[in-house]
Amino acid sequence: MIEKTYKAIVVDDEDLARAIVVEHLGVHPEIRVVASCANGFEAVKAATEHKPDLLFLDIQMPKLNGFEVLELLDPQPTVVFITAYDQHALKAFEVHAVDYLLKPFDAERFEEALVRAKARCDQGAPSGPQPAELSDAARSDWPLDRLVVKDGTKVTLIPLAKLDYVQAQDDYVLLKTPEKSHLKQQTISSLETRLDPNRFLRIHRSFIIQLDRLARLEQTPSESWVAVLHDGTRLPVSKSGYARIKTLLEKGSV
Amino acid sequence: MNPITSSRARLGTYLLGWVPVVALLTFVAMSQGWRLAEALVLGVPMCALGAFLFLTSWYLCRALPLRSTRVGSHWTAWILAAVIMAALWSGAGVALAWCLDRLSPLAGLYHRALAALPTLLGIGVVLYLATLTLHYLLDAVDLGKLSEAREAEFRILAQDAELRALRAQLNPHFLFNSLNSISALTTIDPPKARSMCILLSDFLRGSLRLGEKRLVSLSEEADLLKAYLSIEQIRFGSRLQVQWDLDPATLSEEVPALLLQPLVENAIKHGIAGLTEGGVVRVASRREGNVLELVVENPVDADTPVVPGLGLGQRQVRSRLQMRYGDRMRFEAGTADGIHRVRMVFPSEVKP
Repeated sequence: MIEKTYKAIVVDDEDLARAIVVEHLGVHPEIRVVASCANGFEAVKAATEHKPDLLFLDIQMPKLNGFEVLELLDPQPTVVFITAYDQHALKAFEVHAVDYLLKPFDAERFEEALVRAKARCDQGAPSGPQPAELSDAARSDWPLDRLVVKDGTKVTLIPLAKLDYVQAQDDYVLLKTPEKSHLKQQTISSLETRLDPNRFLRIHRSFIIQLDRLARLEQTPSESWVAVLHDGTRLPVSKSGYARIKTLLEKGSV
Repeated sequence: MNPITSSRARLGTYLLGWVPVVALLTFVAMSQGWRLAEALVLGVPMCALGAFLFLTSWYLCRALPLRSTRVGSHWTAWILAAVIMAALWSGAGVALAWCLDRLSPLAGLYHRALAALPTLLGIGVVLYLATLTLHYLLDAVDLGKLSEAREAEFRILAQDAELRALRAQLNPHFLFNSLNSISALTTIDPPKARSMCILLSDFLRGSLRLGEKRLVSLSEEADLLKAYLSIEQIRFGSRLQVQWDLDPATLSEEVPALLLQPLVENAIKHGIAGLTEGGVVRVASRREGNVLELVVENPVDADTPVVPGLGLGQRQVRSRLQMRYGDRMRFEAGTADGIHRVRMVFPSEVKP
């Protein structure tokens, strides 16, 4: 009988921290470590290429943090978070994660996490939460300052300051920056909840604009409204969107 | 220090206060049939004598402070001192009258003065007690000012101690990550695991020791940073490089304890840790004239949005400098061309 094997990727920006995970996995012939990554970009690339069953993932890393990595992966591997100390993360893990390990950990604790993770793999599809949800819970105390987008294996970070507007396209959103448009798999409503309502406004079922990009509002012959941005872009404004803009204008924040 | 003679303004006011006393004495004397010249020739020197003689009431004021619980028993001492000093004073007055009596225009002054001795004695007691009261009053005012100044100083000391205590507190993230590195090294490279344990102990001991002090020499602070950075170099490997540009002449400068430590910690946390390739943390010091300049620099990731304003660590460092040096310090922090730079300038102090 051939035992089932699992592909695993280890992600941590510290060499020694990766080494210890690889060492613990070394005693398990059924686990094959297909990649060992030192940052979020490498992790997304390796995971897209290898489609691992298991991901051992640090949270605080250069470029992309652990949550952002997870957000970009499809399909979602079974994830064991490994962190030194992070209250925000702990909050999320208590509810959602397969397991999390606090550095430093011993062999028994690692085995426990591995058994749990393998069981989750054997069940098939991970029953965990959507990654966006996970990172929302973990980051609820942090202001969202950038969006991550993946195109093939290429990852792009979009600072919110660069975002002109967002347009809904079915299950995707089109993120419009002065240089380029990026497509991201997320609904416009779920993105809206993560954006600062004082900076971004849903002006239409399909559009969110960054408020300081708004030049003026114009009325069309058919009595509906159009938002004109500083770069000349014209976007439709719905009735409720117009009401929201008016409220903001009255508050004096535009 | 006598509260009256301690300042020129007070002494002047006090002496001026004796002018009406001269007027009063003259008035009393003339009402007794003295001539104006007689009253003045005796009254002016007596008041001058009294003004200085009664300053001695300061000793009584100091010996019998009002704060003590047995104020009731002070009365005897006060009255006794007043009578003795008044006797001395009026005695001196009579002696002066006796001398002046030889001069023909003032003949009979001695007898008049002798006759007025009881009155003089009474006036002397009153004047002495008045001066004594003045001493008590001024002393109380001074004490109030002093305690206010002391309170302000204590407040500054307490705030500084609090900030240092915060600094000496361990960054748990650093500690757990270091322990994790040691845990990994125990199988990979046991001697290195041991040396990391020792470095970590050196650092912990050093930060506790420096946390107890207000000022340390720059070389002591640098030793602590070296232990800290050696640990971080084991964690981050080749990603962390350190460039020391400390002018040897500045190593004996006294600097607020744990001033650089939080800035170097930030350089790693917000700089090196966010860079896949890492970079160089630079620590520099130099003296220019009578000011000391300290600089900490680190590269930052271009993709990480710059948070406006100062972080907690930088704010604490700045307020510690502000508390100690006030307007005589400068604290600048900013990012340009991918390098975050903190520069501090404050008065140079070398331990005598």
